Amino acid sequence: MASAKRNKTYRSPEASAFYTAGLILLGIVVIAFIISLFWTPFAPDATDASSKLLAPCLRHPFGTDNFGRDVLSRVMSASKYTIFISIAGVAIALILGTAAGIPAGYYGGLADRGIMLLNNSIMCFPGILLALVAVAVFGASVTNVIWALGLVFAPTFARVCRVGTMEIKELDYITHARVMGVRPGRIMTLHIFPNLIPQLLPATVIGLANMTLFESGMSYLGLGVQPPDASFGKMLADAQAYIRVAPWLIIFPALMLVFYILGLYFISEGLRVSLSKGGK
Amino acid sequence: MQSKAGYLIGKTVELILTLLVVSLLVFAAFSIIPGDTARVMLGPDASESQVELLRAEMGLDKPLATRYLTWLASLITFDPGKSYAYNVSVGELIAQRLPVTIGMSVIAMIMVIIISYPLAVLSARKPGRLGDQVCSVIGHVLFAIPPYVASLLLILLAGSIFSLLTVGNYVRPSDDFAGYIACLLLPSFAVALPKIAMSFKFLRSSIIEQKTADYVRTSKSHGLSDLKILIRHVLPNSNVSSITIISIILSDILGGSLIVEQVFNLPGLGRLLLSAISRRDFPLLSGIVFYLAFVTVLLYFISDIASSLADPRIRLK
Amino acid sequence: MHRFISKAVVIISAAALIFTSLAGCAKKPAAADNYAVVGITQEPGIFDPHTVVAAGDEEIIFNIYEGLYKFDSEGNLNPCLATDVEISDDASVYTFTIRKGVKFHDGSDLDPADVVYSIKRAAGLLDGQGGVALVSELDPVSEVKDLSDGRVQVTLESGNSELLSYFTTGIIPEGYDNCQAAPMGTGPFKFDSYNPGQSVILVRNENYWQKGLPYLDKVTFKVCADMDAGLTELSSGSIDIFPYLTTDRAAQLDSSRYNILSNGSNMVQIFALNNKVEPLNDVRVREAINYAINRDDIISVTMDGAGVKLTTAMSPALGGYYDTSLDGTFDQDLEKAKALMAEAGYENGFDITCTVTSSYLIHVNTAVELASELKAIGINMEIKQVDWATWLDTVYTGRQYETTVIALTSTYAPYDVLERYRSTSDGNFINYSNAKVDELMEKIPMTADSEERTALYHQVLGILTEDACSAYIQDPATITAVSTRLEGYHVYPMYVQDMSTVKLAQN
Repeated sequence: MASAKRNKTYRSPEASAFYTAGLILLGIVVIAFIISLFWTPFAPDATDASSKLLAPCLRHPFGTDNFGRDVLSRVMSASKYTIFISIAGVAIALILGTAAGIPAGYYGGLADRGIMLLNNSIMCFPGILLALVAVAVFGASVTNVIWALGLVFAPTFARVCRVGTMEIKELDYITHARVMGVRPGRIMTLHIFPNLIPQLLPATVIGLANMTLFESGMSYLGLGVQPPDASFGKMLADAQAYIRVAPWLIIFPALMLVFYILGLYFISEGLRVSLSKGGK
Repeated sequence: MQSKAGYLIGKTVELILTLLVVSLLVFAAFSIIPGDTARVMLGPDASESQVELLRAEMGLDKPLATRYLTWLASLITFDPGKSYAYNVSVGELIAQRLPVTIGMSVIAMIMVIIISYPLAVLSARKPGRLGDQVCSVIGHVLFAIPPYVASLLLILLAGSIFSLLTVGNYVRPSDDFAGYIACLLLPSFAVALPKIAMSFKFLRSSIIEQKTADYVRTSKSHGLSDLKILIRHVLPNSNVSSITIISIILSDILGGSLIVEQVFNLPGLGRLLLSAISRRDFPLLSGIVFYLAFVTVLLYFISDIASSLADPRIRLK
Repeated sequence: MHRFISKAVVIISAAALIFTSLAGCAKKPAAADNYAVVGITQEPGIFDPHTVVAAGDEEIIFNIYEGLYKFDSEGNLNPCLATDVEISDDASVYTFTIRKGVKFHDGSDLDPADVVYSIKRAAGLLDGQGGVALVSELDPVSEVKDLSDGRVQVTLESGNSELLSYFTTGIIPEGYDNCQAAPMGTGPFKFDSYNPGQSVILVRNENYWQKGLPYLDKVTFKVCADMDAGLTELSSGSIDIFPYLTTDRAAQLDSSRYNILSNGSNMVQIFALNNKVEPLNDVRVREAINYAINRDDIISVTMDGAGVKLTTAMSPALGGYYDTSLDGTFDQDLEKAKALMAEAGYENGFDITCTVTSSYLIHVNTAVELASELKAIGINMEIKQVDWATWLDTVYTGRQYETTVIALTSTYAPYDVLERYRSTSDGNFINYSNAKVDELMEKIPMTADSEERTALYHQVLGILTEDACSAYIQDPATITAVSTRLEGYHVYPMYVQDMSTVKLAQN
């Protein structure tokens, strides 16, 4: 019932601090991404055998990699995949999760049991394991990574939706609607789903961050974004061989990756703080 | 009200059903993997007839349903056949790799507990103070560093600054136990870092929540010291959910170690898994995936039971 | 007589081995560090000398089994378990004289019956084998006979003067069928144990027929996940010898602790173009690709310069068979490449996919560099990485791909290198088809005169280059780091680790 009306969110100083820090960190990555759509200092895939492994300098502020590619340009273009995969993956997880979670919570009974059994079974695999196997089965590509991660994360959203629906469906206006003969499909989409949003929002932001953790891990193992396209995980994997001679190959992608994830965490913390204070 | 026995039976039925679904998922996944195991084993230079011969030898030509049932039966008896690629029993292979994965998980778990508990208790004593805030911020940052990135950064540090801990030199526990622990320290730490942050955050907030509870205030008015209240009342009460959190952390650590092993070149389950994936080693792959899932299911099962014993209210849900 | 060899015998021989090594200790104080650890990046799997296919297994069992002939580090074929061979004029009958005084690892003597059994087994001539050759190159063998005078006569279905290099296949005791679990040969090292995913351990063969060899008591082949993992282990000192490095990685090693050896590897790295798919079925497009790429840059990026440029299907390691007149055929010429593209009707270029296995960094890196270079003539190449299993299945066997990058390894047999370009060959994964090549390849094994044969090989190579059947890139050098603790290690121009000559450095 706490979640039913939360139109006004009270901004505590704590929440503001989280939002500010989160937006700054996220902003760095997002701005790099937006600029990369129009311009990068060099083409991110352009190799140049004559300028391999250059340390950061004026021409190449982040240095160059073992192909002579400009690390700054690659970091900029890598942000594209990080952002795209996390958003697309969360979208899939959200759709699947709500589609499974709301009916499960609404109808209860056998349907609920069946959905939750499948849900729990998927959650039994350490997440990364399931995603790895899925990608191994269908081949490594951006689309497959998105689907795999979407599947792995769907149960989390399904849980949130199920619990939320079970609470909301007991509320008077839903009972009224049911008595008046409003079809269940309509009740679920028009009455229940909008009320779940406050609960889904922090889950979504955290989902974006976790998805990025997984995606970069898979790319690190070579099962995510495929070369020559840049991704933080793959850049780090390639850099490992040069860890002693070219540490800049590790430091810059790692920083950007952590900025993105940390920015999302901060925002979700801010949401958590302001939602919990606003509700009380 | 549901009885204790009824609750146990219900949970056990759920456990078995979950495991069946898990096994079906695993089998289905591996049956549609493209790639011919026999061809992989023999390599590109083998002739078609050699490949045919091996395929028949491995029973790959039998129908799917038969293969599933045989496989399920073999899982239950803890003897999921021989690995195609290594030609050794899967159980033996997994057992060989366990020292790394279990060692890492245990060391990481210990690190999580001995670092996060005291910090959380200290932080929660006076929330909002500088120390508390610093811990919280560091916690957030650590939480955001993927374990493999932490590993790389640790290697960078360990290699260049204090080359004390050797990187990538696995020592078997039977050869030199101290060396075995030493070589797992760095990777375990990398896996533990985000979990330390997670457990710190959870403990801190649950302690703060408990502190405002009436019984704590009462004990305080009775003149018990802060520390005593923490140890006698707050922690045991928050421990109910600690059990759940610990099982979640353990399963995350297991997942994280799969990648970190790769960074440190440790012969653990993660590397076995990756090599099984790339070699289409069905018995091995399904064995690893199933048993890992099995361990997780069991962890949750135990944590459910343990929580319900500690707090009977849970059974009512 | 070896029919009843069972586990018991293996156990007894293992016990005997422990005993002899203890006895050895008593005689001369063996140095405690008289061992070597070799890093390998492929998981060992098959120890049977006749079913072994993976190069990674081959390099280990080279130390356990020996054939009638054996390659040395220069690529020469030398008598080994045979003292010589007589080849009939039509090259259809090979008669080997079997060496005397050679013992198997279990102490039994090598006799012609063992050779007959082994060759029959390899050629699929034993009862119950159904004629399926385990070593497919030995399929032409139709009869193997013990001449009872210490010689063994091998008869072929038809003349084939190129078969001697396949008689390097391992000789095992008569009736022995347990090579997978308990490898037994006549080689300088005996098999001790295999820990899957971790190591293969070999120990010294005290009865080795070449007196004085080997030097080491124990050799461990240690599995490393990949080159970088091996590099880490090298620097921490847990590996002594590590082959297949790249130069920039080798350069990171402490030169006072490691010697870096470099040698041609007799591999042919190929940018394979599927000749059956559009637009690659057009010879002008394939030529354009050949002119568009810069092999020096690729070698610089992937091997840090340690590779030999190739424009044809064979490595210069094969000496006279290699046709030097083809050198420099496809030096980078973007204008010419663009003109050829335009002529073929692709002045605006096209999109194409390169399916490459993620198991080999060098090939992935080559693909990345190629994609960058091909942009210059408007070819937009997408790289699709697949695991080794999928690669074998879809690219190599299924031929469902457009382009790929891979290295073709071979033994030291020119026929083997070129066999895959026959239109009907199992190995013809580029779908190349040229009637003239088919005809020449038919003719070569029938030709007894070696000069004439070389000329025919040159002709085939010429046609392959003329048709631009694919783009050949390099023979990547084998770079091996060897601890200064050891000496006597030789890099072979094939996938082999010969540990028999390695010994502790005399300081």
